Amino acid sequence: MTTVALIGNPNTGKTTLFNSLTDKYAYVGNWTGVTVEKKQGQVKDTDIMMIDLPGVYSLDPLTKDESVVADYLMHNEPQLILNVTNASQLRRNLLLTIEVLELGYPTILVLNMIDDLKRTGFEYNCTVLADRLGCKVVTTNARNRKGIAELRKQVIDYPDQNADGLTLDYPPMIQQAIRQASTRLVKGTGYSLRFARWLTIQFMNKNKVVRHFAKENQLAPLLQQQAYYDAQKFADRIFDTRLTFIEGLLKDARQQLATSNNRQLTSKIDRVVTNPLLGLPIFALIFFIMFKLSFDWVGTPLSNLLDQFISGPVSTTADHLLASLGAIPALRSLVVNGIIAGVGGVLAFVPQIFMLFACISLLEDSGYMARAALVTDRIMQAIGLNGKSFIPLIIGFGCNVTGVMAARTIEQPKERLVTTLIMPYMSCSARLPIYSLFVAAFFPRHQALIVLSLYFLGVVVALTMAKLYQVIFQVKESSIFVVELPQYHVPRLDIIWHGTWDKGKGFIKKAGTIIFAGTVLIWLLSSFGTTGFVSNSANSFAADLGRLLVPIFKPIGVIQWQAISALFTGVLAKEVITSSMMVMFHTSSKAVLITALGQFISPLAAYSLLVFILLYAPCFATLATIKQETGSGKWALYSAGSSLVVAYLIAGLIFQVGQLFL
Amino acid sequence: MVQQNYILQSFNCINGPTAARLHDMGLCEGCPIKVIQRYPFHGPVIIENDHQRIGLRYQVFAQLTGE
Repeated sequence: MTTVALIGNPNTGKTTLFNSLTDKYAYVGNWTGVTVEKKQGQVKDTDIMMIDLPGVYSLDPLTKDESVVADYLMHNEPQLILNVTNASQLRRNLLLTIEVLELGYPTILVLNMIDDLKRTGFEYNCTVLADRLGCKVVTTNARNRKGIAELRKQVIDYPDQNADGLTLDYPPMIQQAIRQASTRLVKGTGYSLRFARWLTIQFMNKNKVVRHFAKENQLAPLLQQQAYYDAQKFADRIFDTRLTFIEGLLKDARQQLATSNNRQLTSKIDRVVTNPLLGLPIFALIFFIMFKLSFDWVGTPLSNLLDQFISGPVSTTADHLLASLGAIPALRSLVVNGIIAGVGGVLAFVPQIFMLFACISLLEDSGYMARAALVTDRIMQAIGLNGKSFIPLIIGFGCNVTGVMAARTIEQPKERLVTTLIMPYMSCSARLPIYSLFVAAFFPRHQALIVLSLYFLGVVVALTMAKLYQVIFQVKESSIFVVELPQYHVPRLDIIWHGTWDKGKGFIKKAGTIIFAGTVLIWLLSSFGTTGFVSNSANSFAADLGRLLVPIFKPIGVIQWQAISALFTGVLAKEVITSSMMVMFHTSSKAVLITALGQFISPLAAYSLLVFILLYAPCFATLATIKQETGSGKWALYSAGSSLVVAYLIAGLIFQVGQLFL
Repeated sequence: MVQQNYILQSFNCINGPTAARLHDMGLCEGCPIKVIQRYPFHGPVIIENDHQRIGLRYQVFAQLTGE
């Protein structure tokens, strides 16, 4: 099987190209860091496997995502490398190209976004580029599929590619050092001369992955010289040589075009959206519209329809069907009250979530996300995060799961982790039903104010925790904030759809499996007791468990087993708390429940309970996403544990202090 | 009128990863840059160089340009 690797800077349209060439698509975004791990696809109608690697500025990685590329090149031997570049920024893109060419694999240099370049009034002579770099050069404009057919042909004809590799004219002192070290390496290890040379140059260049590799494999020829290389500033001199080479090359290859139509669009839009005064209000407006679309105008009506459909026709039909088949009551209860109510209740959120994802994909594809990170950076800096954390947190108000996933775009691992860990404190939309129920029961005159105070408290706790983590983790890397602001693109519908589907399908699949398991578990707990199947939930295991925990919950003012048991169901999905309460209080009417609650709980205890619900353990889906995104179940456990402690302390504080005054 | 065009003076004061990232983006000592936008309260600065726009923190910008 032939393997082709796609390598290039971020924002060069690599993934769009990958999607045009292959059958299976990967996720595309006009925002640095969208491809977080390598993705594979098969070139249409061939057996050529294409690998889309994360966008990198150089082979020396700053982040975990970026190290994928250097790692890949050291441990795999692709038959062909497609080096995708942004034609308008060739000077910087070629820095990476040189690193790739020095490795000596057959390479095709793709000058993508060629239309943007031509608009600036010039282009490059591909023959000059090809001669001097020693590789094939193809121009494309992936967004409107220009040049894709030609590129595909070149990829299929890969055996014709020559692979001389590029040898730059480094200063004599460096040349000699490269020669010595690589000869010794070849002798000692049996590497090919090309690879040994490349390894030596990368080692001199302080590439962290290569230096680690050298240590691991005891590459003495390199390790012995490390101090000398660094003292002589080889890395800087290599950089200078490369840049001089590139500048000379581009000067010779540059061709003036008759027409020029400067990039007015991006400048014009940027003048408005990154305006110092208007930037933040515009950012707020865009996200307000996004929320309105997802949770008000489009998403919610669709969700309600779906909910009515599932809780109405689907539920009744299933019930009738089971009854007519003569199923035992326990099975009917499991299917109707457990699975359909639980899984269906979560599936009803799919329209909202897809709408939100579509908006996010639109913002990513257009190029706005980078600007949003920029205008919010100053605020986030105060708590040790940066602008790139702001967007995921805002998205978290919609749904924590999507928020955690959006945190992928943060480059520094520690900042990404902190953003993920504070995410559950952002009050997601699933918590609204229980808020509205409680404020209607206890604070009929100040409903909006109480709900707002909860949102605000969530944000304050999140920011405080972020500050705390900053101190604990000693986040010093946070000072890296270099955001590239890509050109704006007119969004393409299919890319947005692909992005939405790619983000959303995981939700359906993962939430589906976890919620399914959780639903069955909670149904079991509330339907069975020491006497077997029970029709009265007061005799169930859930009730026993609730009663057992009453002493623990007493300090925060909650002494009813019903409320405590309902909290457990909230871990399944926050919106289930409301329906669990209804089951526990033996009522199917909201009005009855509101009156019942009023007799059981004092307003202070109710507020303390709401605070607890706001802050305590994230739902199953969020925990699963945290596990998936951090790559460790420990962080998911930590998140559940720490938020439980925080919720208990704050709710307890509010109840105890409140008692002194009321 | 605030100055618009700068020459990058020194990469010595900024932290290693940031310097590396800027190098990878083709920025080096002696490179001309143009300031596109500044934000109040020493917020980020948008610079332009070689048809690319980059957002930087003010501290980094000030160290690079010696402002």
